[in-house]
Amino acid sequence: MPTSLELTADRLAALLMGPGDALLDQGRHDLEFERQLVARPLERGSAPPDVWAIDGGQGTALDARCLQVVVTRAARVRYAGGACALEEEGPLNVSLVGGGQTRAAVAALDLGVAPDAGLEGVINLLRDGAEWQAVRRSVEECAPDGIVLVDGDLQPDWRVPSTFVAGVLAEARARQVTLVGVTKHSSLSRGGAPLMGMLELDAAGRLGPDAMWWAPVAHTRPDLAVDGGGLQVVAARLDPQAPFAFRVDLPADVDAEPALRRLSALCDDAAFPGYPYPLTVADRLAACPRWLCDDVRSLIEERFDLVGVPLEVRERSFADRHRLMERS
Amino acid sequence: MTEGAHSRGRLFGKNVLEGVFRAAPDEDLFLGEILVAVDEATRRRYLFRVVDVTYGTEHREPGWAERVAGTLLADDLRGDPGAHPLHEQDRRTYRVATCRCLGYLTPDGSSFRKPKSLPTQFSRVLTPEPEDFEFLSSRMGDLPLGNLRSGETVVDFEVGIPGESLASHVGVFATTGMGKSNLMKVLASGVLRRQGRYGLLLIDPHGEYRADLTRHPWAADRLRTYAARRLPGTSALRLSLAELAFDDLRTAHDWTRPQEEGLFELERHYGSTDLRWLLDFAQVEELATFREVDLNGRVALNTLQVLQRRARRIVDLDCVVADPDVSVGGAVVRDLTAGKVVLVDVSGLGSTEEVLVASFLTRKVMDEWSTAFLENPDLHQRLPVVSIALEEAQRVLSASRDKDTNVFPRVAREGRKFKVGLCAITQQPKLLDDELLSQFNTFFVLGLADEKDRNILRSSSKQDISGLGPEIQTLMPGECLVANLAAPFAVPAKIHLYDDLLRATPPPPAAPATAPPNVAALVD
Repeated sequence: MPTSLELTADRLAALLMGPGDALLDQGRHDLEFERQLVARPLERGSAPPDVWAIDGGQGTALDARCLQVVVTRAARVRYAGGACALEEEGPLNVSLVGGGQTRAAVAALDLGVAPDAGLEGVINLLRDGAEWQAVRRSVEECAPDGIVLVDGDLQPDWRVPSTFVAGVLAEARARQVTLVGVTKHSSLSRGGAPLMGMLELDAAGRLGPDAMWWAPVAHTRPDLAVDGGGLQVVAARLDPQAPFAFRVDLPADVDAEPALRRLSALCDDAAFPGYPYPLTVADRLAACPRWLCDDVRSLIEERFDLVGVPLEVRERSFADRHRLMERS
Repeated sequence: MTEGAHSRGRLFGKNVLEGVFRAAPDEDLFLGEILVAVDEATRRRYLFRVVDVTYGTEHREPGWAERVAGTLLADDLRGDPGAHPLHEQDRRTYRVATCRCLGYLTPDGSSFRKPKSLPTQFSRVLTPEPEDFEFLSSRMGDLPLGNLRSGETVVDFEVGIPGESLASHVGVFATTGMGKSNLMKVLASGVLRRQGRYGLLLIDPHGEYRADLTRHPWAADRLRTYAARRLPGTSALRLSLAELAFDDLRTAHDWTRPQEEGLFELERHYGSTDLRWLLDFAQVEELATFREVDLNGRVALNTLQVLQRRARRIVDLDCVVADPDVSVGGAVVRDLTAGKVVLVDVSGLGSTEEVLVASFLTRKVMDEWSTAFLENPDLHQRLPVVSIALEEAQRVLSASRDKDTNVFPRVAREGRKFKVGLCAITQQPKLLDDELLSQFNTFFVLGLADEKDRNILRSSSKQDISGLGPEIQTLMPGECLVANLAAPFAVPAKIHLYDDLLRATPPPPAAPATAPPNVAALVD
């Protein structure tokens, strides 16, 4: 009788070795995939004159499960003429989630989220909301022919109204700014197996191990664009030495290859070949590390002192019971 | 004085005795470099010595730097260097310098204190200014040796040692080619120019000092040279067996127990306190008969043969004579009493005979100075401090040497009060006796590659050199650390080049004109 480990390993091997043809993005069913995924050679172009990169970060300062204090922020960086012109960590948004306070936190985003929208995983909404507000500001400030880079795909949390995202895309189009989403870890799959890995192997075999390439993958969200074009999803290896290819989202009306050429010019950093360097800087700025959450917790504790929350109430409410059990 | 100065870094961590500062990725920091952390709050200026420099990066992912290096290396291997620049390297990478705190200057710059407090965190780190070293000027003594060195930079500030410290023994430690001989010539030059205040007895086994020292402008008046060989411009080195002592013999050779017993038997047989009996013993033809008849068979024949071989070797030396009247012992003592540099060129002698000469002369000096100290304090007061310099000092100062009969350990332990010091030159300080080394108050540490050598100095130095291992390891020829009690820390120095020193040395002052006899008589 095979063990559960053996059974699982065998099933996994079968998926990886003999995937079917069905293309899928886990959790999303609105992608219209290309009939054939074929990698095409890509050449490096010249860098855009103005580049913005936006990333969001999140953390939990206090956690009583039914009640949480979460922190989010969206960082922006700007590179003009190849030099860093702006580094903006972004304001730290501290929100109370649970206890009937979540809707207020969502409303504070000022994105027009439906009042009856579901609240599961709301921290994603809070982070994406701040991030897309920053995307909108960046598009407004970006010079023509510039690029605004977003960490992840161009589809924010499903509760963010499509009208808001469509408005950002329209503004970008009007300003001749290219909006680009780069996803490091994609959930695209073919026959249940990770799609990007298979594409990488296929492209290396077809074009050589040191080739830059791109492949159209799908179209999605026709609701997001004014003219009904929506978004296009491609896979791209943006540096000859890149260890990985990434999913790249572009507005459907953007000519993908020239945009990817320009994008690849930002992907030559020695530390992260194949990934846009400005996004790595935004990622570092947006992080909400443990010490930051601890700081927030300390400030809240000071506030508790002022309003007279007894120590034992705090302790009982926010003690990490898992940790307590691990210690015992 | 710091406004507008180029900031070399910002202090961020460690403790009272150590500091760590961050510097730009292209900041050229050197081991041994001396820097100043300026505490704006207290206006103290903390002196730091760089003891290590490492890389730092803003990126916290494990292996980030290795990954970058791998990418760059791969570009090189493909013949495509520059394909992957590290964008904004100056913001993403930096250098971290670990320093030893040497102490701090009070706000008015008048005094220097040992470190007992922390400078304000994030204080600016600057290149020191000449005023920062001013406090050292009164501590550098009257025997200049070189210039202050800060890393690779030679500072326009002369460093040296007080001549008085020669009495508390000097150690010169370096591997071959690091500048020991040049240092000794520079030291001798300093003594020459002090016009009799100090004496230096320099035993030269390789004949490497004579030509250079005689070129010194002050040599005519203040240098005396004795040589075991016939050499131009030197006095003949003559040692009388009547003046050599049994202990000199025991110091010069390694003796087995039976050999020592044999020596005692011979000494008893000849009834002499000096070594004139070596001459008689060396001439004994029938050693077996001599053993049976004169020594009653108390010494094994083969032991006796060894003793006779060694005796013959000594008495056959050109520099060894029987006549006490021609011995140079008295002349050497007189020269040293007059505060001269006495160079004894023993090139051509074997190592054993060289030690014999050194032991004899050292004992003569020690006897003269100690006798004056005990019996004629006024005379002793006038005697100059004298230093006896000996190469390969481990031969006479190692732990295995008999300390009761060997004059050198005695000088190390007692010489200071008599104003007699040793200047021990060695490549292997680890072979010196710990207890004797602890008597040495001044260390000149030039490059030492052996960690054991560095460790022994670390434990005996009068200044903390514990963190300076890498610096000592990387010293270039002529660079050294001077550790003594006069300076508040081990002072990094670049020793003057002797030839440069000669060019810069003025001639000695003209002797005062002597009054004609008739005028002198009137004055009397």
